[in-house]
Amino acid sequence: MSLSRFAALCVSLFVATAPAVSHAKDTLVIGISQFPSTLHPSFDSMLSKEYVNGMARQKLTIIDHDWEIACLLCMELPNLEKGTARFETTPDGADGLAVDYTLRDDAVWGDGTPITTKDVLFTWEVGRTPEVGVSNQELFRRILSIDAHDDKRFTVHLDRRSCSYEGLADFELIPEHIERAAFEVPADYRKRTAYDRDPTNPALWNGPYRVTGVQPGVSITLEVNPRWTGQKPHFNRIIVRAIENTAALTANLLSGDIDMIAGELGLTIDQALSFERRHGDDYQIVYRSGLIYEHIDLNLENPLLQDVRVRRALLHAIDREAMNKQLFDGRQPTAHGGVNPLDSVYYDGVPKYAFDPDRARALLEEAGWTPGPDGVRRNAEGATLRLEIGTTAGNKTRELVQQVLQSQWKDVGVAVGIKNEPARVFFGETVSKRQYDSMAMFAWLSSPQNIPRSTLHSEEIPMEENGWSGQNYTSYRNPRMDEIIDDLELVCEEDANQALWNEMQMIYATDLPALPLYYRAQAHIMPTWLTGLRPTGHQFPSTIWVQEWNVAE
Amino acid sequence: MAAASGVILVLLSLLALAAPLAEAQLGVSGDAADLFNRLAPPGGAHLLGTDEVGRDVFVRLLYGGQVSLAVGLSTAVLTGLIGAVIGLIAGYFGGAIDTVLMRITDAIISLPLLPLLIVLAAIDLTKLGLSAEAAASSEAGMIRIVAIIALVGWTTVARLVRAETLSLRRRDFVRAARAQGSTPLRIIAVHILPNVSGPLVVATTLSVGNVILFESVLSFLGLGIQPPTPTWGAMLTNAQEVIWDTPALALWPGLMIFVTVIAFNFLGDGLQDALDPQARE
Amino acid sequence: MLRILADRLLQSLLVLFALSFLIYAMIGLMPGDPIDVMVAADPDITPADAARMKAAFGLDRPILERYAAWLVAALQGDLGFSRLYSQPVVDVVLPRLGATAVLLGVSLTLSLLIAIPIGVLAAARPHSGLDYGVNLFCFAGVSAPPFWLALLAIILFSVTLGWLPASGQAPADAGILTQIRHAILPVGVLTLSSVGGYIRFMRGAMLETMRRDYIRTARAKGADMRRVLFNHALRNALLPLITIVALSFGTLFSGALITETMFSWLGMGKTIYDAILGNDFNLALVGLLLASAMTLAGNILADICYAGLDPRVDYGKGDRA
Repeated sequence: MSLSRFAALCVSLFVATAPAVSHAKDTLVIGISQFPSTLHPSFDSMLSKEYVNGMARQKLTIIDHDWEIACLLCMELPNLEKGTARFETTPDGADGLAVDYTLRDDAVWGDGTPITTKDVLFTWEVGRTPEVGVSNQELFRRILSIDAHDDKRFTVHLDRRSCSYEGLADFELIPEHIERAAFEVPADYRKRTAYDRDPTNPALWNGPYRVTGVQPGVSITLEVNPRWTGQKPHFNRIIVRAIENTAALTANLLSGDIDMIAGELGLTIDQALSFERRHGDDYQIVYRSGLIYEHIDLNLENPLLQDVRVRRALLHAIDREAMNKQLFDGRQPTAHGGVNPLDSVYYDGVPKYAFDPDRARALLEEAGWTPGPDGVRRNAEGATLRLEIGTTAGNKTRELVQQVLQSQWKDVGVAVGIKNEPARVFFGETVSKRQYDSMAMFAWLSSPQNIPRSTLHSEEIPMEENGWSGQNYTSYRNPRMDEIIDDLELVCEEDANQALWNEMQMIYATDLPALPLYYRAQAHIMPTWLTGLRPTGHQFPSTIWVQEWNVAE
Repeated sequence: MAAASGVILVLLSLLALAAPLAEAQLGVSGDAADLFNRLAPPGGAHLLGTDEVGRDVFVRLLYGGQVSLAVGLSTAVLTGLIGAVIGLIAGYFGGAIDTVLMRITDAIISLPLLPLLIVLAAIDLTKLGLSAEAAASSEAGMIRIVAIIALVGWTTVARLVRAETLSLRRRDFVRAARAQGSTPLRIIAVHILPNVSGPLVVATTLSVGNVILFESVLSFLGLGIQPPTPTWGAMLTNAQEVIWDTPALALWPGLMIFVTVIAFNFLGDGLQDALDPQARE
Repeated sequence: MLRILADRLLQSLLVLFALSFLIYAMIGLMPGDPIDVMVAADPDITPADAARMKAAFGLDRPILERYAAWLVAALQGDLGFSRLYSQPVVDVVLPRLGATAVLLGVSLTLSLLIAIPIGVLAAARPHSGLDYGVNLFCFAGVSAPPFWLALLAIILFSVTLGWLPASGQAPADAGILTQIRHAILPVGVLTLSSVGGYIRFMRGAMLETMRRDYIRTARAKGADMRRVLFNHALRNALLPLITIVALSFGTLFSGALITETMFSWLGMGKTIYDAILGNDFNLALVGLLLASAMTLAGNILADICYAGLDPRVDYGKGDRA
């Protein structure tokens, strides 16, 4: 190679950036921070998969932008008054419930095969087969039987009555004509499903887009599904790229390698705010407060935390408002309990614990804790008020908040040590087996009107005897709370139901089994020319409405 | 150059040790969060401004120096010691001893570090008889890191020393000493050790820097010393989050690491010249 | 020589075998098995479900029994199924092995191509301006944390100048030019952070050899300086360098983790890390064993080179002289 040709090659290596930048605008490149482990809708519930599948798959029902349940594949939600939902008695004499659904006429898989009750029955068959191991087994266990009336109409018989019977979002239909073969040996289904073995098969998809390319760990390419009968999407092609490191994710946005960063799985609020300060004019940044509840679980078996005055003092000692304002620019509102203010069952009348160090000190004195020579409080028996807070190591926002909390607690005489662990250790062992010393900081992602059975009912305390199931990691026991939780599922009349919600929230804020911190917000960072993307704030991603996305004139 | 580096390192150490003094003198705090004074530019009592939680960067840099230097030095020395002893024994005696020692070395070199780190990070020190207070202290975190790195880090030095020793064993002056009936210990101490000390010192000094860097990588992966204990590595990792707003936050710890590693290397250079018996002629 | 090589290979296989159990046990020891994590994430899994799943994955059996079962399957070529990627482990590992080989191979070759001549030059005129300049450059390289270097490179070349893509591998169907462009930053960063160490070792070893008697004799006899440098000194000075390079095989293998993470380069380092943190037992095991095998192979290679280059080292014989 001559020198000049070599030089030319070098120049072209550096300068040939044009094709990478997609301003053609019929292709949208989205950056997310996690690659889905599978595209099969019923394995491994994870946000990145929901995000991608939102564009390529239609659920039976979803929760819409107004946080109401709505139909996607079905024609109409079942309703007790209309008779499309009915209380009944199960074959073995227990209280049961029957719900009717009708599939949309125009619902077809990407290969043109209509979506029918055959698929419904097959999905149920797969879900209830224990060897398959779908992630939401409980749903399939609750379904006693399904009657298919014709190709489109079916009735689901549930083994219990409940006020929230309308939705069937987790009943993810899979194409019988494709997946039947993989299901021959149920135990091997997970390894043989076409969603992972042949993900570009059009018959797997029924959304506005279908998956046309998968580069594992790197990117997923989606193209318009020609069989889609709904509103025609604007972009011919959408590429979802996974870039885990958020600094690299931002750099990719700035360099034009990606067009936008998904709010569901992208930057944290503090990163987004920092980004906005520098590049706010060049991008469209939308914040949406959501259902992610950041809190600190308190280990109520720790003798130091058994006194409710100590728990309240801990909350009075920290300045959550200032944290929200200074760290998150007011975007992540202070939480006063586990129910989000945007949720229709939210009750505002609960005790709120304002920042009041003097009140905290008084409460601690009252509980018998007086300052020792080193400033750390001691009680009459000589025990020191020394606690430990743990969270997922490497989560910078939590580590930031943690250090602020530690410093503020120190001011009122509570010594708090930090012990963070990688997520798999923290969730896999420390929290789930209640092995944390006193405080565990993490978040719950729930759906609207989610009854907090698994986190607050005394039967849900993980123990050796119950195989460590349940998420009542604080060991919280309150008989009245148990009653309310049981009733919430059965007392469906609106006022009575709301009264129960109110009482539940009162008790939570009074007993403080956990210290509420704030509700996390999503930051959607989009190009200025993108329109139609509406963040939801709940667990259903904005991609479900991808056909509404467009380019501004 | 070596002398200048030595002076710089002594100065750095003294500065690091003076952290509490500086804290008191300036009337600022290296661990109290101040939400209303985050990411402040340098000025007033805050010589280098404040960090993302409102703590004084200068004071934290000094405290971080204590930790980073202590971890770097103690790990490097420990690593060098273990490695030299094993390398000398294996190289000098050869035969079965060599085979066994080297296969153990092989095994440890090829032992994956990461799961080991995660397992060790999850060990509950209170179950080993430490009080809750001691287990939560920053010293315990430091010792954990030092122990982990030393436990797997000695192998490079061992291989290096063994290789040198193997070669030296065949040299005339060693043969002569053996013919005169010197004990193996004496031969190792008088004839071999001085000759392997050159590479040994280079390896050890380089490893001080490497350890400080490794600590920063551990911080990056979330497996390092727990916050709020400052280390240069951790400060650098945290600064990555605010790189766009306040690049200076990343500059200082980066600069400290840079200067320290350079100084250790030049120092090692100088020591090599001083220790090498052949270079002294 | 052949017999010794066979011996070494056999010993290494034994070490690898022992390691396979050690790694298996270590992963087993790590807190939180896959089912625990699933239970923690999903309140609807009942204890009976969990127990059944543990039985299905074989997690309820003692570790030795599980290891034996794994070994039998592995020896028959069945390395298991990756939970994290929903693919057979082999299908996950092979392309990543390729990606790592490209990244490391190119970067190592570059490093050595730079390190050897520069090390020799610096050693030829110790304590000259050139020597100090080289030293300073080396230290700058080795004293910058790799994630930092990567970030700076991204900011400079991708964001500010816009010359190179910030993210890892190009799509598989992209042209060779695009592929190369995507590789420049990761390879460059990896090279920059490792070349300093190699230069230092090269220089140190050269200085060391040049003080040896036979080199002095050669120089005293008026041999051509360049000939002495490259024929005699270099041959000996390569020894420690080769040791270092061969020994770093395994570390390199998993050590590219940071570079791979920063540039979303799907190589083995990142895969192993994700597998461990994501509780993907089969994948982590195979990845770690591969890394171990690479290191062991590197060790043997180091010994062979040693024996080939330094006739005074004789292997296999005890101290019988």
